[in-house]
Amino acid sequence: MSSPHPPLVRLEKISKSFGDVHANRDIVLDIHAGRIKAILGENGAGKSTLMAMLAGQLQPDGGRILINGQPVRFTSTRQAIQAGIGMVYQHFKLVEAMTVAENLFLSQEKGFWLSHRRMMERTRQLAARYHMTIDPAAKIDDLSMGERQRVEILKLLRRQSRVLIFDEPTAVLTPPEIEQLFRALREMSQQGKAIVFISHKLDEVMDVADEIAILRKGRIIDQLDVAEVTSKAELARRMVGKEVLLEVDRRPCKTGNVLLEAENLSGEGLEGVSLQLCRGEILGIVGVAGNGQKSLAEIICGLQPPASGRVRILGSDWKRFYATRTDKKTLSYIPEDRQGLATCLAMNLVENFLLTTRLTFSRGVWLQRQQARSRLQGLTGDFDIQPPNVDATAGQLSGGNLQKLVLAREFFREPRVIVAEQPTQGLDVAATEEVWKLLLAARQNAGILLITGDLAEALALCDRVAVMFGGRIVDTFPTTDSEKVERIGMMMAGLETPGKVAAG
Amino acid sequence: MDGFTISLLAAAVQSGTPILYATLGEILTEKSGILNLGVEGIMMVGALAAFLTALTTGSPALGFAVGGLAGALLAGVHAAVCLGFQGNQVVSGLALTILGTGLANFLGTPFVGKSGPGFTALPIPGLADLPLLGPIFFRQDVLVYLSYLAVPLLWLFLRNTRWGLDLRSVGENPAAAAANGLNVVGWRWIGTMAGGFLTGLGGAYLSLAYTHLWTNGLSAGRGWIAVALVIFAFWRAERAMLGAYLFGGVMAFQLRLQAAGTHLPSSLLLMLPYALTVIVLVLASWRQMRSAMPAGLGINIEPPD
Repeated sequence: MSSPHPPLVRLEKISKSFGDVHANRDIVLDIHAGRIKAILGENGAGKSTLMAMLAGQLQPDGGRILINGQPVRFTSTRQAIQAGIGMVYQHFKLVEAMTVAENLFLSQEKGFWLSHRRMMERTRQLAARYHMTIDPAAKIDDLSMGERQRVEILKLLRRQSRVLIFDEPTAVLTPPEIEQLFRALREMSQQGKAIVFISHKLDEVMDVADEIAILRKGRIIDQLDVAEVTSKAELARRMVGKEVLLEVDRRPCKTGNVLLEAENLSGEGLEGVSLQLCRGEILGIVGVAGNGQKSLAEIICGLQPPASGRVRILGSDWKRFYATRTDKKTLSYIPEDRQGLATCLAMNLVENFLLTTRLTFSRGVWLQRQQARSRLQGLTGDFDIQPPNVDATAGQLSGGNLQKLVLAREFFREPRVIVAEQPTQGLDVAATEEVWKLLLAARQNAGILLITGDLAEALALCDRVAVMFGGRIVDTFPTTDSEKVERIGMMMAGLETPGKVAAG
Repeated sequence: MDGFTISLLAAAVQSGTPILYATLGEILTEKSGILNLGVEGIMMVGALAAFLTALTTGSPALGFAVGGLAGALLAGVHAAVCLGFQGNQVVSGLALTILGTGLANFLGTPFVGKSGPGFTALPIPGLADLPLLGPIFFRQDVLVYLSYLAVPLLWLFLRNTRWGLDLRSVGENPAAAAANGLNVVGWRWIGTMAGGFLTGLGGAYLSLAYTHLWTNGLSAGRGWIAVALVIFAFWRAERAMLGAYLFGGVMAFQLRLQAAGTHLPSSLLLMLPYALTVIVLVLASWRQMRSAMPAGLGINIEPPD
């Protein structure tokens, strides 16, 4: 059931593409005053693009936006703000060195002199009207994430925004803060504000929203009232999607001894994570980004020490393993941020190759550049890196070729443990397939930890998967267990724990 | 207090005034997030423009204003490079110093040693007769009194006006400012040019009130002292005043020592203000310097598509 009133905001066949990528296609959406609308979708589904167009940061390629039936065109954030559309960004847009009150009264339309006393008084009144508490004189730097979000909300209320958009608002909040946020959302919606709540967390959406729109691959595939939802599992399945696009030949491989062991890792967003990785297998860590995968990878790869718990790599304790440096037959990290962590874009391919192989190509203090160069020349052929010019800078390579360079370099080290983080993110189909084949081939002599948010990838490559949610491993099982594989989507959305099956 | 000390303190105020103007200008510029290392060059150009205007029109007041405008114009070049073309702020500022100093010395060559009309001391009736404070602060020229006003005005502007708040937010967090609907590039243009205006006034003070004549290299590193003072002052106008007079005092003291004919080599004395700059910066970095610095300082922002 939709509201009988005409919509406050109507999106008519909105489209937006970046190059060949269609971020949004023919989006039709109504936003009503006094209702909370959830936009549900996976990472990369196009939620943020859609909201950026509403907030005036991006302009749609096609379609139009109507406010109260009048078509509008925003070419700047300021225009959207003036039209009453406000956004609470995932990364807050606050001036940390200033006070709460100062942030609230940034970019005012009128007046010359500011009275700090009056600004604080009005901040207090505004907060009280929506049953929020905040110290107007506090510096943003000293506030918790929940308090900062409250300042963002008050900022919009101060400008009398009629539509308040929240981009993944719970990502940075603790559970009690989430409760407070939801109370504030309901309060604002009762006072006639239109709320748009962007999330991939099913439970939260069911908890707070009145209506749901499901966005997948840039399209709205369904719109319904929360009251109409009969099966959460169905909602989860529709949100995550489950088509396997590619098929690769994965023959079972004999698993050997344990190479990597994590025991009861906690802190830094992890809660009691334990896992074991054996030679000859690919263990997938699947889950929606931000559920602890990053910390897990950073700890295992030596970027941060475990806060508590134990990690053993190739039989050595974490500290000892990272105190002894060798290039060969050790651990290789293929990070998600291949342009920032894995390579230096301004350096040439030989120098990039040497980043993790320099010990192999050193005699005393001298680098044996020529040898590294000819070795890499061979590898560019084997891995089909285009262009095969080792004197080019890494910045000249496409995303797929850069990833192949990283793989060529890391596989040259004959690693025993490989941690691959979103290894095909942003790659096209052909490059994805090549990376998959390379990973499968590498598993003969190594154990691979594959951290991915792409279910299709996990099912295509992994021998076992561990599903992460909220810093915990919900369950670990072989990908041949079809019954459990069916429920991965729900585990990823936090709807299921090993012990309990969520109500349908 | 003896006559020597009082006259030294009065000289400190006078000698510190050009530094004060330049420091206030650079504070304004940096508060908007733009680092302008061209202060020295802007002061030189301001000094020459002021001197030539006063010489040709006979009006020191007009000269003072033109000095400021010339400073704003030269700062506009910096703004164009950094904001229009996303140029490197450090390089652009250094180039501006070289350009400004060279240009002023070149164009000023025919006038070296010439004296022009300028400002002379104008004791304020009543205040000038105060014990101690009178002879130090209130027997100066009009431009010094004007700088007394500039300090609280800048303080008030930054703290208690809507525009000051917007300008500071642009310097602290340009992304947040833009999300609030502020025109970041526009505010940075304003901050840079208004700051250049104040810096130009500092240069004008040198040729119109401090010396009344033109010499090459007139500003003698005062621009660099101003850049350092901004940090010492934690980007606060009232502290800039204290710092400017401290440096003015050292400069005046060094001149007096030379005149009195000490046995110390003059190059050692000339070094004093700059040695003090280093010491002050070291001391300042011990304390809250990091947190007082505008967080967006020196960071270019991409223009919106």
